[in-house]
Amino acid sequence: MSDVKTPSKLEKVLKAGHFAVTSECGPPRGSDPQAIMEKAEIIKDYVDAINITDNQTSVCRMCSLAACIRLKTMGVEPVLQMVTRDRNRIALQSDILGAASWDINNILCLSGDHQSFGDHAKGQNVHDLDSMQLLQTVRLMRDEGKFLGGDEMKRPPQMFAGAAANPFADPYEIRVSRLAKKVAAGAEFIQTQCIYNMEKMKDWMKKVVDRGLHEKTFIMAGLTPMKSVGMARYMKNRVPGMDVPDYIVKRLADTPKEKQAEEGIKICIEQIQELKEVEGIKGFHIMAIEWEEKVPEIVKAAGLHPRPQV
Amino acid sequence: MIVGEQKPLEEIWEMIKGHKKVLVFGCNTCVAVCQQGGNKEAEILASMLRMKATQEGADIEITNSGIERQCEHEFFEKSEDEVQGAEAVLSTACGIGVQFMAEKYAKPIYPGLNTTFLGAVEKFGLYTERCQACGQCILGQTAGICPIARCAKRVLNGPCGGSTKGKCEISKDVDCAWQLIVDRLNLLGRMDDYEKLTPIKDWSTDRAGGPRKLVREDLLDE
Amino acid sequence: MNAKKRVGHLKTLLPQVGIAPERIEMFNLSAAMGPRWAEICMEFTEKIRQIGPSPIWFALQARKE
Repeated sequence: MSDVKTPSKLEKVLKAGHFAVTSECGPPRGSDPQAIMEKAEIIKDYVDAINITDNQTSVCRMCSLAACIRLKTMGVEPVLQMVTRDRNRIALQSDILGAASWDINNILCLSGDHQSFGDHAKGQNVHDLDSMQLLQTVRLMRDEGKFLGGDEMKRPPQMFAGAAANPFADPYEIRVSRLAKKVAAGAEFIQTQCIYNMEKMKDWMKKVVDRGLHEKTFIMAGLTPMKSVGMARYMKNRVPGMDVPDYIVKRLADTPKEKQAEEGIKICIEQIQELKEVEGIKGFHIMAIEWEEKVPEIVKAAGLHPRPQV
Repeated sequence: MIVGEQKPLEEIWEMIKGHKKVLVFGCNTCVAVCQQGGNKEAEILASMLRMKATQEGADIEITNSGIERQCEHEFFEKSEDEVQGAEAVLSTACGIGVQFMAEKYAKPIYPGLNTTFLGAVEKFGLYTERCQACGQCILGQTAGICPIARCAKRVLNGPCGGSTKGKCEISKDVDCAWQLIVDRLNLLGRMDDYEKLTPIKDWSTDRAGGPRKLVREDLLDE
Repeated sequence: MNAKKRVGHLKTLLPQVGIAPERIEMFNLSAAMGPRWAEICMEFTEKIRQIGPSPIWFALQARKE
């Protein structure tokens, strides 16, 4: 793959051929930066970069940009998640420049959950651009130094652009086409939704590799450790686009309650070990929301610590 | 056609109760098709309002009438006297008709309907949204299904990650527009079109650009 | 078929103006069912008598005073 284009540490790790590790934090529902700082402290030495979610599930929180800046002041590498639900193209480009002014070098472009899921269901949604068009915009700003309107900009953002992918979402038959589209739109890295169905994941990766997409973008497998059999069942039955095989639920159900969390962590570590062997997987995105303290343990046990210095 | 829904009776009553003579005025085109604001519905509504008025002990005369369309001058001609004779009008036309009447008559014109969307009659009794009047139709590229009107997030390169079993993440009763588009592209043997990136939209022809207008110079009077 | 739908619709409209939906009913019978017709008339009249005067009647009475 080509040379490093931005100062992004994530990009450097991936292009140097290492498995990259990222995790994510949700900002607080208030203006106290403590929560972000505490979570970041716990995981910062075990990951290459930390994603900050953007009003996830349409619940209003401190903005991702501010929390990413906070991470920068701590010497931690952020990934700015940006949804197209809440901002028009002017605001999106404006925030990208704001982020770039603080040398934030990673962005994940998303559409965002519908506002009816959150606490402001009566609000408008914007979607001036969709997630693919936002990717195109980031690349235009970075590679050509231009605004969407055509004018040139000073000190263009140096952002490593990424997108999300869900190997299990419907319609299943276009899942690989969709990835191809995101790559064509400019996605340089991909973080998938959390994976439990290894067979289906390998099947998807095989198709991705057949198309050569693994050489055009860095695919990072998303993982979330299960805390309990209840969580497994919930995710299996109540979360759209989630594929939790029966054997995972059974394995947790067969474990005594007080040991289920530990078993969930074990499963996660096994998943990482298995995925390391799958062609095209270039990293891991560990989402342990409100369970950040487990990330160090997982990363260590999966043989991914210490993180490479690039 | 334009679809609307009659406002709750209580809300309508609150609007008109202060008047002494109200004309309930129907529109027999779009809103008659969805059985909400046609001349027949206006008659029923007037009757219900009279029953309400009696029980409230209100001294109010409620008449009813209607015309073919409340968005064109010519149809008002034969009802001119009736409208002039009323103190206020409760129009059961869509928002266009209500406004058109307000421009024509110097008296209060109240909306009897909530105008909701532009849609088709899937079958008698079922009306669903199809068009958002964005001013830049892309139906040629999306196999005849509009992602702006039928996708809750109007994604132009869909589906989003929330599409589940052909339904939108917002409700099991809402089809995922992009599933429909993919199915139809398949049907038409045009799946290659799926990977074409839809360009960023020019929303200036949409509501965002301001109230829209169409002029045909050749049709205007001297 | 149409009449049945209309009666059904009316039953949803009437409560909005305070009139009990039981006050309107539809019965299906043929011209040959004379005795049944009489029976229905009597039963329904009795039912209405039991429900009592409608709010509209009360309102009109109040007006006269």
